[in-house]
Amino acid sequence: MNDILSVLIFFPLIAGILGLVVKEGSIRTYGISVAAVEFLLSLWMWFQFDPTDGGMQLVKRISVVPDFGISYYIGVDGISLFIVIMATLMTLIGIIALSVKEDIKNMILTLLFLEVAMVGVFVSLDAVIFYLFWEFSLVPMLYIIGAWGGEKRLYAAVKFFLYTFAGSLVMLVGMLYVAYAYHRMTGIWSFALTDWYTMLLPLSEQKWLFWAFFLGFAIKVPMFPFHTWLPYAHGQAPTVGSVILAAVLLKMGTYGFVRFSLPMFPDASVMYIIPVAILSLIMIVYTAMVAYAQKDMKQVVAYSSISHMGVIMLGIFAMNAEGISGSVFFMLSHGIVSGALFLLVGVIYDRRHTKMISDFGGLASVMPNYALIFGVMLMASVGLPLTMGFVGEYLSLAGFFKISPAMTAIGGTSIILGAVYMLSLYKRSFFGPVTHAANKTLTDLDAKELTALVPLVAIVIWLGVYPRPILGPIDTSVKALTVLMHEKAKTPEAKATIILSKSTKEAQ
Amino acid sequence: MLAPISVNLASLNFMTLSPMLIAIAGALGILIIDLIKKDLDKTLYVILTVLILFIDLGATLGLSLNDRGFFNLIVVDGVTILSEILILLASMLFVPLALTSKRFHEYSYPEYFALFLFMVAGFQFMVASDNLIMIFVGLETASLALYTLIALHNTAGSHEAAIKYFTMGALAAGFFVMGSAAIYAVTGSVELYDIARVLQERMDETGLMVTILGGAMMLIVAIGFKVSLFPFHTWTPDVYEGASSPTAGYMSIVPKVAMMVVAIRVLGMYIDLGIDTVRNVVIAMAVITMTLSNMMALVQDDVKRMLAYSSISHAGFVMAAIALDTTKANSSIFLYYTLFLFTNLGAFTLLWISRHKDKTHHVRYHHPYVKFSGMIHVEPVAAVIMAIFMLSLTGVPPFSLFWGKLYVISATVDAGYIWLAVILGLNSAVAAYYYLKLIVYMFLMPATDKTRTVYNNRSLALEIVIGIAVFATVTSIFYVQPLMRFVTALISASGY
Repeated sequence: MNDILSVLIFFPLIAGILGLVVKEGSIRTYGISVAAVEFLLSLWMWFQFDPTDGGMQLVKRISVVPDFGISYYIGVDGISLFIVIMATLMTLIGIIALSVKEDIKNMILTLLFLEVAMVGVFVSLDAVIFYLFWEFSLVPMLYIIGAWGGEKRLYAAVKFFLYTFAGSLVMLVGMLYVAYAYHRMTGIWSFALTDWYTMLLPLSEQKWLFWAFFLGFAIKVPMFPFHTWLPYAHGQAPTVGSVILAAVLLKMGTYGFVRFSLPMFPDASVMYIIPVAILSLIMIVYTAMVAYAQKDMKQVVAYSSISHMGVIMLGIFAMNAEGISGSVFFMLSHGIVSGALFLLVGVIYDRRHTKMISDFGGLASVMPNYALIFGVMLMASVGLPLTMGFVGEYLSLAGFFKISPAMTAIGGTSIILGAVYMLSLYKRSFFGPVTHAANKTLTDLDAKELTALVPLVAIVIWLGVYPRPILGPIDTSVKALTVLMHEKAKTPEAKATIILSKSTKEAQ
Repeated sequence: MLAPISVNLASLNFMTLSPMLIAIAGALGILIIDLIKKDLDKTLYVILTVLILFIDLGATLGLSLNDRGFFNLIVVDGVTILSEILILLASMLFVPLALTSKRFHEYSYPEYFALFLFMVAGFQFMVASDNLIMIFVGLETASLALYTLIALHNTAGSHEAAIKYFTMGALAAGFFVMGSAAIYAVTGSVELYDIARVLQERMDETGLMVTILGGAMMLIVAIGFKVSLFPFHTWTPDVYEGASSPTAGYMSIVPKVAMMVVAIRVLGMYIDLGIDTVRNVVIAMAVITMTLSNMMALVQDDVKRMLAYSSISHAGFVMAAIALDTTKANSSIFLYYTLFLFTNLGAFTLLWISRHKDKTHHVRYHHPYVKFSGMIHVEPVAAVIMAIFMLSLTGVPPFSLFWGKLYVISATVDAGYIWLAVILGLNSAVAAYYYLKLIVYMFLMPATDKTRTVYNNRSLALEIVIGIAVFATVTSIFYVQPLMRFVTALISASGY
């Protein structure tokens, strides 16, 4: 199966369309089966992937609009491989844990369409196809938030859509300009990323193009000050919506920086390290503080999620292999950990129909298993060593240390502040006496919830202890990326900043 | 004593006139049939009209490129052929919309169909000439027929709409004639190629620029009225609201395409001559038009009025491309309008299906947003189709209009107008809000008791038209390449 990537993209699409036939009562099993097959297919992709090769693999290129250089061009490297697997995994987990009652058929089919867009974004190597999936992912999410959300769901859904849409249209102008620049230099129209990588853009053009792409990606991440849509979206979205949003959709933004901004505009990226880092630091510290002030459990997780995305941004703009590998790994761990935390909040919400911390207390004595899993995920979120969260956070910060130790120190407060708001959340909800009568009769996790959560716990601990199988391929591809950036960099500052690690130099 | 003029029949090259002649002959044929036998059903006339348009399309496709004929009045270039194909396609999709399940007044008259064909012929004359007088004659033939078609809908609103459109149209006609007169005063000709030659020679003469610019501005005003550019757009929402939905949908495409062709010819000439004021005025008007109409569309309560403002904003979008005057920009106009044709006509047809005799949901409007609330629970297929049209109008890929927007913005970037490209992009984002509003009502609001009865005017013919529109909207990714190649080939073959 050489076309495994195409199968990965189109299998959920066809399953989603054919799913219209399946009756409401059986749709849940249908959804789980399809998502499970998709997940297995993504593992098959991993099996076919050669971890020693840092370039694009399983590549397929079919011309769609040859006159304008648009082609159906897909492939994976170590950076995107695991994000794709995480996307299929989190969709599967989300569908297993689905607690929605009304219109469940529409929900499951929407999730399948969303999966198409998610897989598509991460394997596209053509800017227009990338943009196509990128924009299309908004539609199912709009529906999920808007149809199954909380009270202010319409506002949240529309805000989510418009914010991202506006940013990405500016990015589209940037993409069209890059294509035009490529045409100007070579006489050929092409939107293929690998072609764009070969092009050296003058610094003056890199500067504004960097910000055009930045706007599109930063809104998605979401970077301060464009983050205001996210708490609303999380606050109103149903559990599965929050899981997918936090685990996968936010990663599109950071992935975009790695895939587009760094290799295409290396000089501009180095030039703007400091402004981007300052925004990231504000994001880390400010949203961590806001998270501490929240009374709603879900909002705590939502703001903590923004704070951690700030660390990922720092890692990316470290411009060296440690930082970028670390942030790609952190994308995965953040996806799994924050996804699991949203699931856990959803569990308690299904039972009590409230997410307010003050409504709980002493849950550990009533729901021991729940408290245990919540505890593990919380530690991973804080970044405790031997959990998955530690590896990524440590590497990202270690990478940025080479740029600025002082800023890294501020970024490092993310771990301390994270511990503060997370532990205080845990203390107030799980420890102490059971203060509300309604909490005394709560049932612990049922089989369905355990099926969804236990694999995530296993992954968090496995990759915390032994991250090598995943970190290895990521590192290989990231090193190839830094070599490319180093070669392309024109300004002396950029050459000096994009440090090649020892092993990379030896390999050269 | 005047010398007798001898005309060689072969030099008239009647073939260039054949598309218009077919439409006119067809219209006369319909009138004759009506004269001979009364009480024939509208289905006969609908199908006859479609057949005549079909022959017309065949004749258009058979035209030889870059040909002139009929005392040099008719010019057959790429723009002519493309715009005639667009006009005929839109017309062929429009006419079957008369086959509704409910009876509507206007379709019981055979004259309706005759007038319609006269109008098509008028538009064809308009796009197939570079003679200002000929363009004017085509414009007026088409417009007078269109006023009547609107009024024939025979509601209080439609009469108001027809009179409003007539008044504004008359004003526009006046400006067109005055502009032509000013040009004639300077150049002594009404033929665009002649005008361009003389203007080139006389441009540097002192004091002449005022007249040249004055003529250009009056023509821009006339074009602005017909294409509905700010500040001459005010009639549009009211006229669309009063006209029947198919007519409104038709008006959002065909008259605008025809006038844009005139704009490409006339304004393109000024821009080629290096008169930058004209270009700047058009860009300014385009930017204000789309921004303002997007703002206005946000606050509408009626879907049809929203679509009216949306079509103004799309026209503004395309006018920006006209100001660029590159081959790519001119191609993008036709690509955009081909894709827009199917999507927009589809959306208006869905409104047409939901038409009731009485205003069931609102005191003033036929199609308020509330009417569509909770549609997904009652009519899931229709709701999904409408959502696809709305997403396409927003420019969400992979639906058709995304490719149009992509190509227009790309042409803008290529021409070096990055700021304009950013404005085009941001305007699409603003527009997303009001298209989403309808999707929100259809998918995310609870259904009311009345929602069940929305699709009351359903019929097979309408469903087929919608089916074609959906097909064209969804599968665009597969035909963008050949379409683009076809359009670009025709445009560049004629040197635009």
